[in-house]
Amino acid sequence: MLQQIAMGVTNHRQRLSLGSRVLAGLLGSYVFTWGCVALVVALGLVQGMDYDEMLTLAYLLAFLVYLCAFLWAFAAASLLRVWLVLAGGGVAMSGAARWLTSMLA
Amino acid sequence: MLSSFRLSMTWVHTWFGLVLGYVLMVCFFFGALSVFDREIDRWAIPETRYEPQPMPSFDSMLLPIFRSIEPEPRSYDYAQGEVQGPLPPRESLAMSDVGAYTTHRDPVLDMYVSFDVPNKPKDANLDHVHAFGYATIDPRSGTVISNDKLKIGSEFFYPLHYSLHLYWKNLGYWLVGMAALTMLAALVTGVVMHRKLLRELFTFRPRKQMRSVLDLHNLTGVAALPFHFFFAFTGLVIFAGIYFPVTSSMFKPQAEAHEKVEELRTGLPHDPAHIAAPLASVDAMVAEAQRRWGERGMPGEVGFLGITHLGDANGYVSVYRAGTDRVTLTGQGIHFRASTGEVIREDPQPSSVAGINDWLTGLHLQHFRHWLLRWLYVLGGLAGCACIATGFVFFVEKRKRQHAKAGASGARWADAMGVTAVTGMLVATGTILVANQLLPGDLPRRGDWEERIFWLAWLLALVHAFWRSAPVAEARLSPAWREQSWVIALLCTAAPVLNWLTTGDHLLKTIAARYWPVAGFDLALLVVATVAVYAARRLGRAERVLVETAGGRGRGSLEAAHA
Repeated sequence: MLQQIAMGVTNHRQRLSLGSRVLAGLLGSYVFTWGCVALVVALGLVQGMDYDEMLTLAYLLAFLVYLCAFLWAFAAASLLRVWLVLAGGGVAMSGAARWLTSMLA
Repeated sequence: MLSSFRLSMTWVHTWFGLVLGYVLMVCFFFGALSVFDREIDRWAIPETRYEPQPMPSFDSMLLPIFRSIEPEPRSYDYAQGEVQGPLPPRESLAMSDVGAYTTHRDPVLDMYVSFDVPNKPKDANLDHVHAFGYATIDPRSGTVISNDKLKIGSEFFYPLHYSLHLYWKNLGYWLVGMAALTMLAALVTGVVMHRKLLRELFTFRPRKQMRSVLDLHNLTGVAALPFHFFFAFTGLVIFAGIYFPVTSSMFKPQAEAHEKVEELRTGLPHDPAHIAAPLASVDAMVAEAQRRWGERGMPGEVGFLGITHLGDANGYVSVYRAGTDRVTLTGQGIHFRASTGEVIREDPQPSSVAGINDWLTGLHLQHFRHWLLRWLYVLGGLAGCACIATGFVFFVEKRKRQHAKAGASGARWADAMGVTAVTGMLVATGTILVANQLLPGDLPRRGDWEERIFWLAWLLALVHAFWRSAPVAEARLSPAWREQSWVIALLCTAAPVLNWLTTGDHLLKTIAARYWPVAGFDLALLVVATVAVYAARRLGRAERVLVETAGGRGRGSLEAAHA
């Protein structure tokens, strides 16, 4: 069954990498998108923009970002790079957003 | 991931499409039914079969009814679970906000009250908890319609398409969100998989088995591609606050500061003053709001009328315009001081970002009056269902012979799940409608029984689908598809007949009276029944062909088509 699900993916290592890929596609992209939303809102706040306004803008962009990140996670050759960009990038952007908003206080 | 970009995208399309396709089916089908949710409500609650009504007088009709509303026992119990210490008695909770809501398709008026809960919430992130009470009334007389009567369209099918009625930790919303993302990904990967996109828009080769299934999958996917993309995308945007809750987490201080600024800017008090105050004539405020809309060149009816901080010196009345004549979801709200009736604020024109958001949400939620477009929405939704269903069928057809040879059970499982998601869903839908007609009118918590029967019917369809799935393991058709089609035909014929017997509203009468909410739904049910009979007969023939040719020359035409 698992063998069929992996469509030709046979050995244990490949199965693990497939699972990691699916996780990166869903969770990694989620973290990345969260980072984008946070950064858009934070940049807006720094510019003195309205909170609701920036949040709406971020939400309108969020799912297009998520979609691209999700598909890229499966298209990219290197799984390590996928995780680095998605999870790493997401955490970095969230951190930057936090730092920007802390400057406002 | 795989050796080529196209293969990787095909993998995503196949496997995410299969696993989340079952959820997507529910979203598309009940979303399509939600387009006519108010009409289905009329069919389900016969005493509400009369023309839509405007917002009635607040002062003489709504206020006394609001005062009589008590917290729903279920909402009260829920609030008790969320707070520290025992709640005060249910009848003693004080009202904080009230609201009444109607549309150009509503003969009934929905009213709600939110009650203050004085206890401290268990969750430190929450300021306070509310309990809620509801009433549905006939605005012509003020008669209250029992909450035990389930509005099958707007209270059951409609929330089912975005929440699956799984409210624990918002699980249903998350599953639907994942399914919507899958829909977006399936559309993009589908385009990547097929190079000859334009040709597929015009290709349908019937009677070619596998080829027909795939053609239909591509045709329904490509022809309605903008529709599918739009609805999946806006569905996600509408619930973005659940999926990316930054306001209640990392931006909590900023959001709170923003609320304070907003309060100063708009003059609408966020908190009560805790000083009692009288209520001026709300009818006069409504008249003033309508006069101001008229001045802007957009006279209209009231869609939503609400009072925040009822009976408090900080109380204010908000009057929103019904969005009957425009796509965008803008209420043109006008707010009055509740104690004096003076205007505090007129909502300004939305900013460009908010305007885009209102327009996208408005096009999804469709509050505007446009019956042709409404039907196109239904067709688009059903095209989505056809696309997903043919996807399931293609998945199984492509694999079942290999699996039969290898002795694997994957195709059998996928097929039984497909039966459950496609015909099983229709069996459950037909069953709730029949149950609605058969259950005694005065049964306490009647709506709960209807819901239970719906889920039970779906569960039985699942059991039946798995029980009858053995032939798939031998690369034959599961008889469950055909058998459940017959059940659908039976239920969808029984429902209009029962409607006639219990209410006397048969089709000749409703068509003659041009009462389309009931006539249209009865007709739609009969169309479904006809299609189900046709499908069942075709499936029966296909099963016989396969049995006759099995073991003989290979396994018949399906194999040839597959090669």
